[in-house]
Amino acid sequence: MSKMILDFDPVVCCGCGACAIACMDQNDYDPATGNAPFRTIFETQELEDKPVFSHYSVACMHCSPAPCVTACPVGCLKKDPQTDLTVFDNTDCIGCHSCAMACPFGAPSFNGKGKMEKCDGCYLRLKYVMEPACVRVCPTGALRMVTEEEYEKAHEEHSLVEEARKIAKEQI
Amino acid sequence: MATREELLKAKIPCAETGIGIRHTLCDICAPSSHCGVDAYVKDGVIIKVEGNKDHPLNRGLLCTKGASNRQYIYRKDRIRTPLKRTGPRGSGEFTPITWEEAYETISQKLLGYKKEYGAQSVFFFSGYSKWYRPILQRLAYSFGSPNYGTESSSCFTSGLMAWETATASPTRPDMRNCRLFLGWAHNPYFSGYLGARNTERLKKQGVKFIIIDTMYTQTVEKIADLFLQPRPGTDGALALAIANELITNDWVDHDYIDAYVHGFDEYAQYCKGFHEGNVEELTGVPYEKVKKAAEMIHEYGPMSIRESSAPLAHHINGMQNYRAIMALSAITGNYDRKGGQIPSPFTYTHQASGYHTLEHEFVKEARKSSMAPPVGAQRFPLWNELEKEAQSMDLPRQILEGTPYPVKAVLAFGMNFRMFPESDSSMRNALEKLDFFVDVDLFLTDTSKYADIVLPACSSFEREEFKSYPGGYAYYTKPVIAPLYESRSDADIMCDLARHMNLDDPLLKGGYRACLEYILSPISYTIDQLQEADTPLKVPEFAPHQEFAAIRRGLDTPTGKFELKSEIIASHPEWGLDPLPTYRAPLDDADPALYPMTLTEGGRLPNALHSRLHDVSWLRTLRPKACAEISLEDGEMLQIGEGDLMVIETPAGSICVHATLSKRIPRGLVSLYHGYREANVGSLVGRSRLDPYSGFPAMRSNRCRITPLEKDPAADASEEKPVTGMPDGQPVTGMSDGQPVTGMPDGQPAAGMPDGQPAAGMPDRLPDAGTPQLPAGRDTAVPGQPSGAARKGEAHE
Repeated sequence: MSKMILDFDPVVCCGCGACAIACMDQNDYDPATGNAPFRTIFETQELEDKPVFSHYSVACMHCSPAPCVTACPVGCLKKDPQTDLTVFDNTDCIGCHSCAMACPFGAPSFNGKGKMEKCDGCYLRLKYVMEPACVRVCPTGALRMVTEEEYEKAHEEHSLVEEARKIAKEQI
Repeated sequence: MATREELLKAKIPCAETGIGIRHTLCDICAPSSHCGVDAYVKDGVIIKVEGNKDHPLNRGLLCTKGASNRQYIYRKDRIRTPLKRTGPRGSGEFTPITWEEAYETISQKLLGYKKEYGAQSVFFFSGYSKWYRPILQRLAYSFGSPNYGTESSSCFTSGLMAWETATASPTRPDMRNCRLFLGWAHNPYFSGYLGARNTERLKKQGVKFIIIDTMYTQTVEKIADLFLQPRPGTDGALALAIANELITNDWVDHDYIDAYVHGFDEYAQYCKGFHEGNVEELTGVPYEKVKKAAEMIHEYGPMSIRESSAPLAHHINGMQNYRAIMALSAITGNYDRKGGQIPSPFTYTHQASGYHTLEHEFVKEARKSSMAPPVGAQRFPLWNELEKEAQSMDLPRQILEGTPYPVKAVLAFGMNFRMFPESDSSMRNALEKLDFFVDVDLFLTDTSKYADIVLPACSSFEREEFKSYPGGYAYYTKPVIAPLYESRSDADIMCDLARHMNLDDPLLKGGYRACLEYILSPISYTIDQLQEADTPLKVPEFAPHQEFAAIRRGLDTPTGKFELKSEIIASHPEWGLDPLPTYRAPLDDADPALYPMTLTEGGRLPNALHSRLHDVSWLRTLRPKACAEISLEDGEMLQIGEGDLMVIETPAGSICVHATLSKRIPRGLVSLYHGYREANVGSLVGRSRLDPYSGFPAMRSNRCRITPLEKDPAADASEEKPVTGMPDGQPVTGMSDGQPVTGMPDGQPAAGMPDGQPAAGMPDRLPDAGTPQLPAGRDTAVPGQPSGAARKGEAHE
């Protein structure tokens, strides 16, 4: 299986939030816990000669290399060898938040037991030939899961992954 | 190799996990959608949903609302058993009873009122759900009551009536084949999401788009070649001005008009009153844009028009505005044309699927000519003439006043009193006054708390039902899980009641399936075959549209033509209605100096559908508070910042909500979604402000004023406390158990708000465009106001 890129186009997105809800359904998110959800949406507005809006759907950027993997002192985080998505097993998590400190995007969330959780790119669904929940539901096609080859050949003009790579490079 | 635990956590459907996928449909929103769903089921419990890729309508997609089906179905306030009220009305004090006792009580009561006051004293009401409506309508008629009335007395039917007045048939836009699309209040990104995909595809194919909306929507942002922004309820004046421009330039289709259109000369004469000299004053749209729209209509044909079923109708002049818009289709020769507007007779439950069923016969044969006129017949004679059912907007008045005859009992399937104008003093008071009220619902709602008997209904995932789709498709679902608790299908409840009351109706008493076997007798498939297929089947009887066939044959209007001048209306001068699509200003006569702004109710949100999703906590994370949107300019002028509490007042009442400052909203407009128990915008709409043509309430154009809620210094000190109460003492989050749903760990928004604030834990270093442009006076995200501050809102009422 090739390396996979979960990309997002803020120009195509309409800010409906279906991705955020599908992610909650996939991951049994309970808002009553007060934990942060894995995927969130927001909109920015600017005024030029007419209103200009940008819509964002943001979760783990699955950086490669991933600073959270390096930061975790107990080895909970790793890159999935097949998909290169950043996955986790929080059995040994000590809740030190080192991953959150290292993450340029604030992706790690911490559950009621203080253990880290985050978007794992639905990597197991990929292995069973199913798209991630957010990609599957996205009505506009703003969220896409593509192979690295596909991405390098023709990523969208407004690629959030491309922007994220620049941000991560500056920070790390 | 993944372990079984990992596979279970990822919800992989396979033998190892025991997770299976079953097909059903989502019926959260309108029947024009009802997307196919794959329900992931384990041990009889739904653990996840996604779109069904084999479904011809949605091809695997779901919207924000549909993606929340699991939480919707398993809401904690699902009613578990039939209930009998033990406390005062509205108290929510009930005791569980058996189905048998419930049916016996209801049957005896309803038959008793029939005997004492006549069958018309019992009203059969349907809320937003539509799938069972022919069954309920027949139940009312077989019982002997003319009073079958629905929520569609305030949605959709106004547009239908406009088309019936003009052409005696419903129509739909043939969007696929048009070259110009006129989207009038059309924002599929937040409502009817599948339309957004079609719109984008057509845009890529070179179709031109004129979008007309009071707000700068996502569709304006992404699709519009030309954007016209009239003030709410002035659409009729705008349409007449566009028509005048077309007529003046001789850009109309004379051959078509001569052959197929009635009343053109009088109409053209009337249009002359809407011109360069007054259109901007009337509508707010610069004349240059009217000219440009007319030019585009002239340049690019065929033109199809999509007029949304609520925003255009919710004005005192709503139906006339519709008629003025539809007239554009007639004078340009686009009615019954490929790529224009297509006559589309209904197949089932107001869905035009291109094949015929016996739905109409099923309902009509139970109606007796000796019945009394239904509720609303006197007050809304055109409605009565065309729809032949009760105009529910007149129901609270008739219950309270008892004229022209008393209504003693209401059997409701999903009623929400907040749907009615001045809800608290009209419909809620009427519910207090009723002798007997039965409410059937999935959830123990605020309205059901007024009922004497409450019955638990099940969701679309727990029942079987027939559904028709565009393009000739027929679907008969299987339940994907057993009904929760003791709940039952609404249709089964109706048929059970027909049996318990021993009505003279063998078909109804035979049950839902028997009714559908009769209704579907014109199609080749049996119900068994449809159900076996487990996905919609295309019926062989599907007949696609034949261009100009209907209009050449002659329409079923009095003149056989497209009537710009309605001869039905003209033949009833006593109604006091205009045969032409005349225009009157939409706003009420409150003093503009006191009420300088306009309140519009119900502009769509992606995470809400009337009130039914307000208590679904996943969706509430997208907009935790009841928020009214105002323009940045008005916020600055009135010293109202993002998230601040403000009071909205109309002559009918006042409510307190949070403010959202949006560049989508023009100055002078206040937009608030409906159905919030903590901020019911319906209470601000005057009860007498009903469209005399359709009876629809003026939800979208009411004079109002807004004022910032003075901050209480003591309240500021305790600002970090979680919100527990709003002005009416209800939990702000709308959860029945009072739990906050906002998921705010540290006072941050749980999921991103559509207000430019990055969401919790999310970067503030996104690409350049990602830097929020904060308006002046904007605070950081306001997690909520303490109840002390919120209660101050009451002082304003």
